[in-house]
Amino acid sequence: MANEKSMTKVLINAFITVLFIVIISELIGINKFAVGLGTVTLLPMLYAVIFGMLVTPGILGKVIAPLKKIVNDDVIEFAGSMVMMALLPLGVKYGTLVGPNIVKIIQAGPALLLQELGNIGTIFIAMPIALALGMKREAVGATVSICREPTLGVIGERYGINSPEGTGVLGTYMMGTVFGTIFFGLLGSLSLGTGIHPYALAMASGMGSGSMMTAASSSLAAAVSPEMADTVLAYAATSNMLTGVTGLYVVIFISIPLVNKLYSILEPKIGKKGGNI
Amino acid sequence: MTKTLEQFKLLIVVGILILIGQQVGFGINAFQSIPGMIVVLLIAQLSLIIKGALPNLKFPAFAWATMISLLLSMPFMPTANWFLSTTGQVNFLGTTTPILAFAGISVGNKLGALKKMSWKIVIIAIFVFIGTFFGSAIIAQLVLKMQGII
Repeated sequence: MANEKSMTKVLINAFITVLFIVIISELIGINKFAVGLGTVTLLPMLYAVIFGMLVTPGILGKVIAPLKKIVNDDVIEFAGSMVMMALLPLGVKYGTLVGPNIVKIIQAGPALLLQELGNIGTIFIAMPIALALGMKREAVGATVSICREPTLGVIGERYGINSPEGTGVLGTYMMGTVFGTIFFGLLGSLSLGTGIHPYALAMASGMGSGSMMTAASSSLAAAVSPEMADTVLAYAATSNMLTGVTGLYVVIFISIPLVNKLYSILEPKIGKKGGNI
Repeated sequence: MTKTLEQFKLLIVVGILILIGQQVGFGINAFQSIPGMIVVLLIAQLSLIIKGALPNLKFPAFAWATMISLLLSMPFMPTANWFLSTTGQVNFLGTTTPILAFAGISVGNKLGALKKMSWKIVIIAIFVFIGTFFGSAIIAQLVLKMQGII
């Protein structure tokens, strides 16, 4: 992006591409269908993330040459910075859901605060599996949390991003970045099949990622009754804001010591010899 | 100032995408929703300015946007009625589609790096997602039950 002119071209290319994706995704609209115990709710945002990936040079750009010229590396980089911008109107909309429900949210304060600790659930479930698959210290980084940017920073600082722990944290980070919204977009509505109350699932949606929270809570809200939908979104947004405040401290003071402790206990028992990722 | 103008230009691009998207998806007239969109974009810009002014506070602009708009829409605030009806012209789900379109495109250059990683990380990441989500869901369920909210 050397000059003003090429910057404008990048902006126009990105605008046209996203406009097409948005129009097609909105035309497909919301789809619901039953799967096993629950219902999957597919929202336009889910098609949008998939179409977005498809039009990049690595996938459809390989086959369709002109597409590669429109969605080039500059556009991809620009799209990354636009995600933050595009999230802001959604942030405002979340505020309009939280504000009118503020009394309800303060009443649910204890649940909202305590469930923040539930994010360490990953350590107990994913760590044994990582060890059984033959991971060593990579498991510490990969399973310490859902590995959004703050965790990436802390692990990178403590162990170095080129260390085994750094490799692990990057692995989960990349998986979350690429597939997180799709995964939580499906899990949000499907999780109702567990019998857990929508309000509890809503609070769980706030994990420190605006787009994952949105994917999970919007598909959840679209699957519950309209009277509950606003509260679901309000709880989710509040929980996500709380994670923004508390998340880093939970990782530093609880998750990292805990994941290391669990590693030292479990590794001799279930770790395989010479494993690596 | 140049930075603010540059940011606002990008926000207008986002605003246009949302207006067209919600016209297609929800039949909301794009032109009639312009006032609501302007209010939304002004708060978005304000949150960027606050974040820029407080770089040491690790609070994302997204959270500032929610914070400002929640303050303006609390029941006892004089702004509440006006603010809710104006921003009501902007559809909640309509704002989500452009975000994810940009997000999808932005991971385009990361697919190569992902291919280089082991299949094991795919399985482990799924359990990390599930563990993080249901760990919180179970605690929330227990506490909400104890409080008698559900």
